[in-house]
Amino acid sequence: MASFIIRRLGQALVVLLVMSMLVFAGVFVIGNPVDVLISPDATQEIRRQVIAQYGLDLPLWDQYLHFLRRLLSGDLGTSFVFNMQVGTLIAQKLPATLELTLIAVLFASAVGVPLGIYAGYRPDSIAARVIMAVSVLGFSVPTFWIGLMLIMVFAVQLGILPAGGRGETRTLFGVPFSFLTADGWAHLILPALNLSLFKMSMMCRLAASGTREVMLTDTIKFARAAGISEATILRRHVLKLISIPLVTVFGLELGSTLAFALVTETIFSWPGLGKLIVDSITSLDRPVMVAYLMLVSALFVVINLCVDLAYVVLDPRLRHGRR
Amino acid sequence: MTHLLNVRDLRTWFHTDRGIVRSVDGISFTLERGEVMGLVGESGSGKSITGFSLIGLIDRPGRIEDGSSIRFDGRELVGMEERQLRRIRGKDISMVFQDPMMTLNPVVKIIDQIGMAIRAHEPASDAEVRRRAVEALARVRIVDPAHKVDQYPHEFSGGMRQRVAIAIALLHRPRLVIADEPTTALDVSVQAEILKEVKSLVAEMGTSLIWISHDLATVSSIADSIAVMRRGKIVEAGPVRRVLETPEHPYTQGLLDALPSRSRPGELLASNATEAAGKMDFSGLGGAAIGAPPDPAFVEARGVDKIFLAQAGALRRFAIRCGLARPPVPVRAVSSASLTIARGEILGLVGESGSGKSTLGRILCGITPPTDGRVTVGGAPVMDGNRKHGTKVQMIFQDPFASLDPRRTIFQSVAEGPVVHGFCTRGEARAYVDRWLRAVAFDPALADRYPHQFSGGQRQRIAIARALAMQPEVIICDEPVASLDVSIQAQVINLLMELRRHLNLTLLFISHDLSVVHHLCDRVIVMRHGEIIEEGSAAQIFGAPKEAYTRMLLEAIPRPGFDIARVPGI
Repeated sequence: MASFIIRRLGQALVVLLVMSMLVFAGVFVIGNPVDVLISPDATQEIRRQVIAQYGLDLPLWDQYLHFLRRLLSGDLGTSFVFNMQVGTLIAQKLPATLELTLIAVLFASAVGVPLGIYAGYRPDSIAARVIMAVSVLGFSVPTFWIGLMLIMVFAVQLGILPAGGRGETRTLFGVPFSFLTADGWAHLILPALNLSLFKMSMMCRLAASGTREVMLTDTIKFARAAGISEATILRRHVLKLISIPLVTVFGLELGSTLAFALVTETIFSWPGLGKLIVDSITSLDRPVMVAYLMLVSALFVVINLCVDLAYVVLDPRLRHGRR
Repeated sequence: MTHLLNVRDLRTWFHTDRGIVRSVDGISFTLERGEVMGLVGESGSGKSITGFSLIGLIDRPGRIEDGSSIRFDGRELVGMEERQLRRIRGKDISMVFQDPMMTLNPVVKIIDQIGMAIRAHEPASDAEVRRRAVEALARVRIVDPAHKVDQYPHEFSGGMRQRVAIAIALLHRPRLVIADEPTTALDVSVQAEILKEVKSLVAEMGTSLIWISHDLATVSSIADSIAVMRRGKIVEAGPVRRVLETPEHPYTQGLLDALPSRSRPGELLASNATEAAGKMDFSGLGGAAIGAPPDPAFVEARGVDKIFLAQAGALRRFAIRCGLARPPVPVRAVSSASLTIARGEILGLVGESGSGKSTLGRILCGITPPTDGRVTVGGAPVMDGNRKHGTKVQMIFQDPFASLDPRRTIFQSVAEGPVVHGFCTRGEARAYVDRWLRAVAFDPALADRYPHQFSGGQRQRIAIARALAMQPEVIICDEPVASLDVSIQAQVINLLMELRRHLNLTLLFISHDLSVVHHLCDRVIVMRHGEIIEEGSAAQIFGAPKEAYTRMLLEAIPRPGFDIARVPGI
């Protein structure tokens, strides 16, 4: 087990290193920040000074080495635009995104999985057909459109929920969170719902197809022949058997939601990472972009490791096979 | 006293879009307390559906039709409410299934699976569940049950898993146990043990047993009475001895005649399926083996070793060097095996699962390279480096469902090899394939259909035709009849014997079924743990085995209380 974790951590380091090169080279190609940073009527002397100040006069590999060296000492660099530490900047925005996506993904699982199990358990019932049909909608209707509709209905027409912002926050461990206040929840609910619909459909369909398959196996027949009740069969047999694909998708979705919640964040003016990255791309704020993309890859690596560890917990065959 | 079970006019029909499938169509029988009844039939005869009907587990679109009656201990089960039925299931009537790999949940501990079955019918504290689980495992003779209850199914062997399933079925001391092919997936020696144990357990508990099987020999060794099913109906029923000694129905007679153990070795088996398939037509067939001079060591293997070794990655190798990880354990599948097969001979290769017989077969065919040793056919090596050399050796596999490409027509599957290897041109392929299909008594007019449109027996014949079309001199048959019904099995055995005679083929027949091997093979090799432990003519091995292991295998062949081979009427 320990050797497995060590091996995975080693692989993760390699992935991050390769990713940092790709990101660095990619960002370099997008455009020259000098054109955005310095006003066109600045003198040649000022131009040269600014370029030297940001280290933009160095060759790319030199800039990369500088970046790596600073990274190893925990310094992600300074934003060109905000003129503050990128680490601080991201740390300010991350809790908002974290809060939104965690609530969205948990909500998606808590609602999607039971609905899916039901739809797979009674595939011919009307309720199951409705669930499956709605889940197709959840897949195919674009997130931004649903977001706009939610605002139109609940904020504009009914006027019962706010259209954007984080609302009142309360501090926990020195970090502000919305989910600790009633006003915060009012602000959270629409964007979280918007973000979770796609994932909910996915979890639901996955749970439904898994359940349908498992219900036909001899394991279930044998359990029924032993007189075990249907509720126990669903809870103790089916849920355990379908959990592995569900955990896989849960992990992937958690990662991609954290990284790419920007459509929802933009629509609901949620002050999270999504807005930060969009702003930094338009202003060619290289340090922020690089740091953000590195953070995203690190998140994916960590989540995937957790998913692999979850497999080992869920499936005893892996636990003993790896001895 | 009334019967424990009284089934009258049971009809279980499946209402599908294509019409009604009458899986069970008006069967009646009774079962006394403590009686063991064998329910025999070939696949599709409705025997399993009968079992599921009794326990009330028929999935839609199937249903038990009105007018059917199942009276169990004075209570009518047909039309009973689901809640009440569930109270009977597992408590009064329980069931054991064929495949112990599939019936136990792989991700739930044994103790929890047993606990669920206990609590389905009575409340029990955790301590009590543990005590009863240990007791239940001990009852089916699982060693160290106190420790084993906390394990998962994959830590048990196939036989042990089936024992756990039996333990669960017997938890509440039911009055009736329905066993659906419970030993079919197991090795002969394990099957023999389980048969013996189940027999003594039901006798001790006074439980009635319905033993469903396609295998007459197994059934006759355990049952008091027997019912033979065909196409949803019971064609013959009675005390086991009466049915086997003086079968009244021609179908029962046919099943008995198809058993290899009932005819003299080397004779063609009586088989309705053979007659139904039509004549084999050997005209116009070629083959290098026809008229070839005898060669006592045509196929020769010398000191063949096969060691499977998991490849360790760079990091793991480093960890091994530092002593942080254990090196991968090599698996010795075959060790220093030497054998010869004379031209035109059928050599049987027997052993239990894991004995390395399939691996040896693949090495002889040139599919898997041996770690050490040398295999020659007619003096030439069968492998050229890591690649197979020539088309002299072909292979037939166990599962005809898996060995044919489902997306290719029969013609495409059979023609591919010969065209690639230049036995015929693309233009001649049609006539060429037809000739080989006729040789295995397969109608060439059906060659443009896909594999799923054929039965298991037909598919196995197609697989044989595909191997033959490469004009091999040697065919390696890996359990070619293990998944087939008796009458189909007889047909394939007949086919192999005819082909050997007409085409002078050399066969290696790998099987765990000793009665088939006895019937078909000239010589027999016994393998155990990757080693050849005994070798001799079929008469020697079956008449006077030297090794204790061979004797054990022979003793494990299920036999009725009387000698079935001496039954008159053959």
